[in-house]
Amino acid sequence: MSAGTLLAHLWRRHRAALLLLAAGNALFHWAITRVVPAAAQTGFVRELLDMAPAPVRVLVGEDLVANLSARGFLGFGWVHPFPLLLLGVWAVRVSAGALAGEIGRGTMDLIGSRPVSRSAQVTAAALGLVGGLAVIALAGWAGTALGLQMRPLEGVAARDLLPVAAMALLLFASAGCVALFVSATRREGGAAVSWCAGLLAGSYVLDYLARVWSAIAFLRPLSLFSYYQPQRILREGVAVQDVAVLAAVGAAGLVLAFGVFARRDL
Amino acid sequence: MPPEAAALTADGLTKRFGAVRALEDLSLRVEQGEVFGFLGPNGAGKTTTIRLLLGLLAPSGGRATVLGNAVTLGGAAWRSAVGYLPGEVAFWPQLSGQRTLDFLAHLSQREPVERAALLDRLGLDAATLKRAVHTYSDGMRQKLGIVQALQCRPRLALLDEPTKGLDPLVQQAFYEIVAEARRRGTTIFVSSHVLAEVQRLCDRVAMLRVGRLVFAGDVADLRRTERRRVRAVFAADVDPQPFAHFGALVAASPREIALLVAQEELPALVARLGMLPLADLVVEAPSLEEAFLERYR
Repeated sequence: MSAGTLLAHLWRRHRAALLLLAAGNALFHWAITRVVPAAAQTGFVRELLDMAPAPVRVLVGEDLVANLSARGFLGFGWVHPFPLLLLGVWAVRVSAGALAGEIGRGTMDLIGSRPVSRSAQVTAAALGLVGGLAVIALAGWAGTALGLQMRPLEGVAARDLLPVAAMALLLFASAGCVALFVSATRREGGAAVSWCAGLLAGSYVLDYLARVWSAIAFLRPLSLFSYYQPQRILREGVAVQDVAVLAAVGAAGLVLAFGVFARRDL
Repeated sequence: MPPEAAALTADGLTKRFGAVRALEDLSLRVEQGEVFGFLGPNGAGKTTTIRLLLGLLAPSGGRATVLGNAVTLGGAAWRSAVGYLPGEVAFWPQLSGQRTLDFLAHLSQREPVERAALLDRLGLDAATLKRAVHTYSDGMRQKLGIVQALQCRPRLALLDEPTKGLDPLVQQAFYEIVAEARRRGTTIFVSSHVLAEVQRLCDRVAMLRVGRLVFAGDVADLRRTERRRVRAVFAADVDPQPFAHFGALVAASPREIALLVAQEELPALVARLGMLPLADLVVEAPSLEEAFLERYR
C-alpha cells in the first residue's frame, strides 16, 4: 500500500513535467513525419548527406545515409538528441529526486518515520521511472502514428516504430535504474542529478566517439547506447542480445539500489 | 505492545559518523504516558538520538525499543503509532498544506482524527491549507509540522524543537495541545533547549553533553541536586572569608554575602549564620536554567 501511496505522491509532484515531456516527444516525432523527404527529394538530401563530414554522418545514422528512405528517416528521429534528452530528463529527474532528493530536501524524515519500508520507496521510484518513460516513449510513437495518418509514407507503418519506442524505453529504464542506485548512495538531490546526468551523457558521448574513432572502438560495448540502434531495429528487428544487456544492467542497478538503500542512514 | 513495556528505551545506544562520536552509550527509559524532556546545547546529540529511535539511522552500538518493539531500519508497523516532528521540518514546496497532511496521514495508515482540532487550535484555516507550502512562513510550516506529527493521535510523539519559530500565543496553544495529549495517555518526547518550556511541560528530563548523558531524572530532582543560592545580610560588619568553607563565595562584603552551597551544607551554614547579627537570609533553589548551565559549565 505504501508503494502505491508514494507512487501517487510522485505523480502529483511530477505530472506537469511528465505531460510536458510527453507532449514534446509527440510533437517532435509528428514533425519528423512532416519533414521526411518525398521520393523526388531524396537525391538532393543524399547529396547533402554525402557532403557532410564523417562524424556528422555517424551522428545522423549510417543506415540513413547508406539507404535513404522514409523508414530510415523515422529511425533517425529516435536517435536524435532531442527525444533522447526528453527521456533522459525524466530518468534523471525521477531517480535522483525520489531518494537522494528527498533526503537532501529533508522530507525523507517524514516518510522514513512512518510505516514505509525502504523497499517500498525504491519500488515506487522504479515504477514511477518506468511508467513515466513508457508515457513519453508512447507519446513519441503516437506522434509518429498521427503524422503517418496525416501524411502516409511509402513502405512504413506506425506499428513498425513500436519496437523502437520499446527499446528507447528499455534503454532509459536501464539507465534510470543505474541512476536509482547512484541516488540511493547520495545525500543531496543536486549531487545525484550531477552523477546521473554525467553517467548518461558520458555513455552517449562514449558511444559516439567509439563509432567515429577506431582507436577506442573496443570501448563501445561499455556504453548503454550501443545496444540501442533504431535503424537496425527497423531493418532487422530487435536484437535479443541488446534486450538482454539492457535488461541485465537495469536489473543490476535496481538490485543495488534496493540493497544500498535498505542499509543506509537517512 | 505489552502493558508493562516502556514507551521507549535506549540501551548503550551509540552513534559514530566516521571519527565523530555523535552519541555515546546512551541508556534511558521513557514510560508510557509521560512527557519527557531531552535537553542539550546544539550538537549535543539530541536529534541523532531521535533519529536513531525512529530507525532513520543505524546505531554503531547498543539497541533501542519503541512501544515494545526493537528498532530497526525500514518500515516496521509500530511506526504507525508514532508521530514525529523533525527539528528542521521540510515539506514538498509545490504541494498544498491539505495535500501534505492527507499524504502523510495515508502513509501513517491511521485516520487523522485530531487534525481538525489541531488546525483550529493552531490557527491554520482552510484557505491557508489550500495554498502551496512554499508560500508559508516559517511559523506556519512549524504549525503544519506539529499537525502532521499529532493528527493521527499517536501513542508516542517525538518532537524535536517543537516551538521553534512559533509566537508566544501559538506556543501557549502548543502547551495546551501537549497537556491534552498527555491526558489521553500519549507519551511525548520533547527535545528542546528552551528550559522554561521543559520545566513547564515535562515530568522527567535527560540532559546530553557532547553525546553523553549527564543527567536523567525528575525535573525536581535536577533542581534539588544543584547548589542553592544563599544571600545573607548582616546588621553589623562581619568577616566574609570563613564562609568560603561552606561553598563558592559569589559576592562578599562586610555587610552582605552571596554564595552557592550544596544542599547538605545548608544546616551547618544556617547554624553558623545564626551566631552572627543576621538581618536577612534568602535561600533559593536554582532555576532549571541555572541547573542546566551548571551542568554544562
